[in-house]
Amino acid sequence: MKFKTKSILLLIFFLFVKNEIFSQEILEKQFEYAKSLYNKEQYFDSITEFKRLLFFDSSHKFNFLADNYIGDAYKMGAKFSDAIHYYTLAEINAKNYNDLFLAKVNIIRVNILRRTTDRALQLLDSLDNDGRFLNRKKEISYWKGWTFIFADKWNMASEEFAIIDSNKTLQKLCEKVDKEKYSVVFAQIISHLIPGAGQFYTGHYLSGLMSLAWNGLWGYLAVKAFINNRIFDGFMITNFLWLRFYNGNLQNSKNFAEERNLKITNKALGYLQFDYVGTKP
Amino acid sequence: MNKIFFLVVIICTVSFPQVNNSSKSMDLFSPINVKKFADYLFCQRDYLRASDEYEKYLLNNYNDTVAFKIGIANMKMGNFDIASKKFSAVSPKSVFYDLSKLEHLKANFRIGNFYDYRNLYEDLNLNQDFKYTFEARELYNFSYFFSDASLPPRNKILSEFPQNEQPQINQFYDWKSSPPYKSPLTAAILSTVVPGLGKIYTQEYSDGVFAFITVGLLGYLAYANFHANHNFRGWLFSALGTGFYGGNIYGSAASAQIYNAKISFQFFDDLKKYLEEHNYFIPLINFCK
Repeated sequence: MKFKTKSILLLIFFLFVKNEIFSQEILEKQFEYAKSLYNKEQYFDSITEFKRLLFFDSSHKFNFLADNYIGDAYKMGAKFSDAIHYYTLAEINAKNYNDLFLAKVNIIRVNILRRTTDRALQLLDSLDNDGRFLNRKKEISYWKGWTFIFADKWNMASEEFAIIDSNKTLQKLCEKVDKEKYSVVFAQIISHLIPGAGQFYTGHYLSGLMSLAWNGLWGYLAVKAFINNRIFDGFMITNFLWLRFYNGNLQNSKNFAEERNLKITNKALGYLQFDYVGTKP
Repeated sequence: MNKIFFLVVIICTVSFPQVNNSSKSMDLFSPINVKKFADYLFCQRDYLRASDEYEKYLLNNYNDTVAFKIGIANMKMGNFDIASKKFSAVSPKSVFYDLSKLEHLKANFRIGNFYDYRNLYEDLNLNQDFKYTFEARELYNFSYFFSDASLPPRNKILSEFPQNEQPQINQFYDWKSSPPYKSPLTAAILSTVVPGLGKIYTQEYSDGVFAFITVGLLGYLAYANFHANHNFRGWLFSALGTGFYGGNIYGSAASAQIYNAKISFQFFDDLKKYLEEHNYFIPLINFCK
């Protein structure tokens, strides 16, 4: 009797395990199918199939992977908020520190891409201070470097990349951009002192000359009017002509410096987007 | 031992169909699972995917709830044309038939196709069995606030709405029957007589005061310079003053037009908010309990 009961229980157990294995196989196949769609860049369908997998996976075995893939697919479609939502779910479903780190970094990468760099830095700092990730300091610095690039702080990016020995390319690029960039404040200060100097500094020589000439002319006429006791004329020329050109000169020097900087940074970002072979946000 | 052997055989015989059944329930693309998944997506507000999955389900099965939910999903996504077609295709035998007619009305309303909307309403109104005549009539009467058609008498419109809604509907009626527009011509004339007054009329108070002071100051400077025989400056300030004066007249007329556009926008915005709050007078069905 005892033997019989044992046999029956064993059989029931066997059948249960068999069913479980069978379901797992189906879910495994579904995972592979969804992954293949993702690899074929069919992101919409891939998201649908991963969501189907999540819906039917009552054991939650695929939660982390599927959430992560869905996040990736949304990211590829530039649906950044949805991507962050799924990466956050992946973070919740992470089974070990490596998964957790991956999910957190993915969230940071999306924040870099959508230029919410303050948030990215905040998350990176919390990772930096997290005792579980002491052996991932280099990766943290790497993403800090990228965050600074997107925050237009190239010198700080270069400092972060300097921590990583293997990434001299990025460090050199950031240093180069930082050196090439024009100082907007300097351009404005010299234009305050000598009208047109800021334009000269940014390579807009004709504009600089014109600015200098106009300011010289109206300045001369204004001073002459004041010297000749034509106070009203002096005020009119100063207010409506001289100051107008003087302010225009300051605005121009600022705009020119910013335009130049934009060109320089866009060129560097273009390189990073198309030619740089390392991991990108 | 024989008994045990027989027992094993019996259990195995029973077990294989069970495995098969299990495999059926684990076929993720079986119609029942597709529907379950679509319901999940619908409740997750992933309407595009839910709609796709429902369409897949309908390829081999018919389910009036599913057909109706495809329409709702499209309405949620703002695909009013598709939603309109989906609602019009719901079978008359369906429990959702009347509701889908009401949603169909709403879809035409949202498209702004008031001609089709009114025709559809007339058809529904003639149908004695239609359950939502009152709701349809509310939306029908409300549509007058959106269109350029002449308004029916106030009492007729108000009588179609519940007592507690009538004050708000009355306000909409007031606005629509005599919109509080400012006349660009009046604004221009006022600014011609007193610089800046047209701007004050269009509630641009600071602009009005600034225009008055500027034109006044330039006029005074022109006068003072002519008086002191500084003719060049006199003409300079006259020209500037005239420019400001003309500009202010034109600006006042433009300001009236901007004012009218603003309050029109506000009015239509209020109408839309009211409709959203009342779900376009359509009873809400919660499919995600």
